[in-house]
Amino acid sequence: MSFRENLEGLGEFWKEFRRSTLGLVGLTILILFVLVGSFGQYLIPFPGATENWRNIDFWQDNPQAAPPVWTNLPWGTQAASSEFLTDAKTETDELDGGVKQQTWTINYNFTADQAPRDVIFAFAGIGQVPVILSVTRPDGKTIEVSREQMDLVEEQLTRFSVTNTGAGKVIEFIRGEDAEIATSMLADIVKPTRLLFSKIASDMETNPVMLKGEYVFTIKALYLTENSKVENPTVRISGFVSGLMGTDISKRDIFTGIIIGIRWALIIGLLTSLITVLIGVLLGVIAAYFGGKIDWVINRVYEYFYLMPIIPFLIVIAAIFKITIWWLIALIVIFFWSGAFKPVYGMALQLKEEVFVEASRALGASSWRIILRHIFPMVLPYSFAVMALSVPGVIVYEATVSILGLGDPSIVSWGQILHDAEGQGAVINNLWWWVVPPGLMIALMGMSFVFLGTALDKILQPKLKTR
Amino acid sequence: MYRKFVLKRVMYGIFMYILMILTFSILFNNVAEQTLHDQIEEQITQEVRAYKNMNKEQLVSIASEKRAQKTQKYHLDQPLVLRIFYRTLDTLMFNYGNATILKAANGDKEVINIELAYLPNTLILFATQVVITILIGIPMGLWAARKPNGVLDRTTSALSMITNGLPAWWLGLIMIMAFAYGPLGIFPSGGIHINPAPEGWDGVLDYLWHLSLPLITLVLLSIWGTAYLVRNIVLGNLQEDFVMAARARGIPERYVLLGHTLRTSMPAILTIVILGLFSSISGNIVFEIIFGWPGLGKLYWVAIQGNDIPVLMGTLAISTLINILGFVILDIIYGWLDPRIKVGGTA
Repeated sequence: MSFRENLEGLGEFWKEFRRSTLGLVGLTILILFVLVGSFGQYLIPFPGATENWRNIDFWQDNPQAAPPVWTNLPWGTQAASSEFLTDAKTETDELDGGVKQQTWTINYNFTADQAPRDVIFAFAGIGQVPVILSVTRPDGKTIEVSREQMDLVEEQLTRFSVTNTGAGKVIEFIRGEDAEIATSMLADIVKPTRLLFSKIASDMETNPVMLKGEYVFTIKALYLTENSKVENPTVRISGFVSGLMGTDISKRDIFTGIIIGIRWALIIGLLTSLITVLIGVLLGVIAAYFGGKIDWVINRVYEYFYLMPIIPFLIVIAAIFKITIWWLIALIVIFFWSGAFKPVYGMALQLKEEVFVEASRALGASSWRIILRHIFPMVLPYSFAVMALSVPGVIVYEATVSILGLGDPSIVSWGQILHDAEGQGAVINNLWWWVVPPGLMIALMGMSFVFLGTALDKILQPKLKTR
Repeated sequence: MYRKFVLKRVMYGIFMYILMILTFSILFNNVAEQTLHDQIEEQITQEVRAYKNMNKEQLVSIASEKRAQKTQKYHLDQPLVLRIFYRTLDTLMFNYGNATILKAANGDKEVINIELAYLPNTLILFATQVVITILIGIPMGLWAARKPNGVLDRTTSALSMITNGLPAWWLGLIMIMAFAYGPLGIFPSGGIHINPAPEGWDGVLDYLWHLSLPLITLVLLSIWGTAYLVRNIVLGNLQEDFVMAARARGIPERYVLLGHTLRTSMPAILTIVILGLFSSISGNIVFEIIFGWPGLGKLYWVAIQGNDIPVLMGTLAISTLINILGFVILDIIYGWLDPRIKVGGTA
């Protein structure tokens, strides 16, 4: 077969494939998966999450076990959502005596019916820097939540949490406004964010009315020495709802995990099925073509792997040897080639008796030439259908090993997210946003491959039968 | 003829079983022997502690004597090949040794007795699943085949594709969240009976109550694929000449479908359906763990958690045996239902 012939065949195939709705749906979902899998790191709200998935510090500013943002129904109470505010405007002034002062302002549009859990100022920097942190409310009043000399260490984030350390300053501010209201407030008991975000009233502690509108967070740094500096200031609003899919008990953003997981699901599914199908097809063709002892041996090996209980074996191996993901893929390959073997074997048995094979043999072609040039290309298209149909099984196997906590801890997969969910009480606490998305993704990815495989199967198989 | 076919299949199954147990013995030899060494040391320490009025040297010599005795008893003084051979032989004789941590309900530490305590639950869950799936799936498939491209036909094919790549244990988690906790919590969240276990008929009812949620989940997952398979097989047979002949004779469509087509499709249906469900029995490990269902799957989990190697090895051997046994029995049933198959010999 020449290159041009192949191309024509492909065009013809595409014409037929286009008519199958199922196939097109499957292909579209798969292309979406591949795109998101490749460029997912630019989509996720937490860049660098791939390396930091199991790093508790990385996630510390998120709320714990918060439901998704869209659980704020339009007609219900609006809980504050978690946000990372990074859009800072900055200006630098020179004070008397050559001391530089840099000011950042970060705007935040507050519309929720409940105050957020926490407001965290975070920034990097070097040296001993006096920093003033303040909040200007929509009513024009400004609260200074912190004024202190901060010891900044390079490449280390300095954080200031209003909830943890800002209570005293917030009460001071209220006292300045109306001393009577503040008398009953104790720094250990009040919720600083609640006071910060509500209208000043006598019952603001117990029954606050939110002050909605534009808040401005200001960070003011004084550079006393030449090389001291403050960089990348951000304000993190820790709300009661967070992200598209909420957060887990370890404060991780589940949407981020789901996106990172796509890549591994694709790698595991595609790589494993590609290798297994190639091995299965090759062995099927060889067994059928040579027949005799080779046929017998390959068929016995096939039955050996076919009769082995795969999941228990994988689980025992994973439990005893603590295998990496590559070993797991290798093991699945060893078991899965049997899926492609039998149908290809049957096809090759028929093809072997075809006239063109006989003609080729009469012309003196070697066995390997006939296998590789004539039989293999004819069964290969069909094997793509087998391959697509075997991908869901592979993904479920990885997820099954992972949910038992036996997966490779250096990767993030949907099975591992489910393992954490199962082990940390997501079911008992009804944290459905932690359990539903990973499983739906496994199902969706499996579905796209099944659609694709079924469509391919319908197109490719009758062709072979009519020959 | 049939007897020869059966004998051949059985012998073949035994051969494969021996081969697999041998593989396990080789693969897991190190870890199994390590466990055995630890168990022997523990025994010796206990036995030596029973001796009184002896000085330290005497105790040491008794201990080493016992050690040599036990090493010989468990063939640990033999070369590697023989050790593997003896381990294979022991496993084949269901002699899995003693558990390191786990115990059966009556305190028995023999691995085989622990296995036998867990096995029935797995089999009951599996058997009820198969029966209900077949009872619902076959009529559904027949109905779908009667009107190809009808509503039911489309629903079954779509749902069979969706459930294909769906882990059973995930649906289990969702079902538990929906029907065991929260306002719809009408089923227990797991386990096999309430504590303390009721007796008599109450006990049976309680068992069924605990069985229902896992069973409903499994059946929900498996009927669609089953119906789709039945539909395909029946649809294929409906194209046959004898169906056309029956219709030409004026036989009502209902009898054509139930009498003629279903009868000829039955061997294929039963084999493929049971085969498909059968592969789920070992896949249901996680499912049993999620539901706290004390079957073999749960036993894997408990053994892994407690690092109980003998139990783990024993469970693997039992799983393998069940797997092969199932395939051999299916082969034999299929040969009985469809006499053509016996001529071929290999399945």
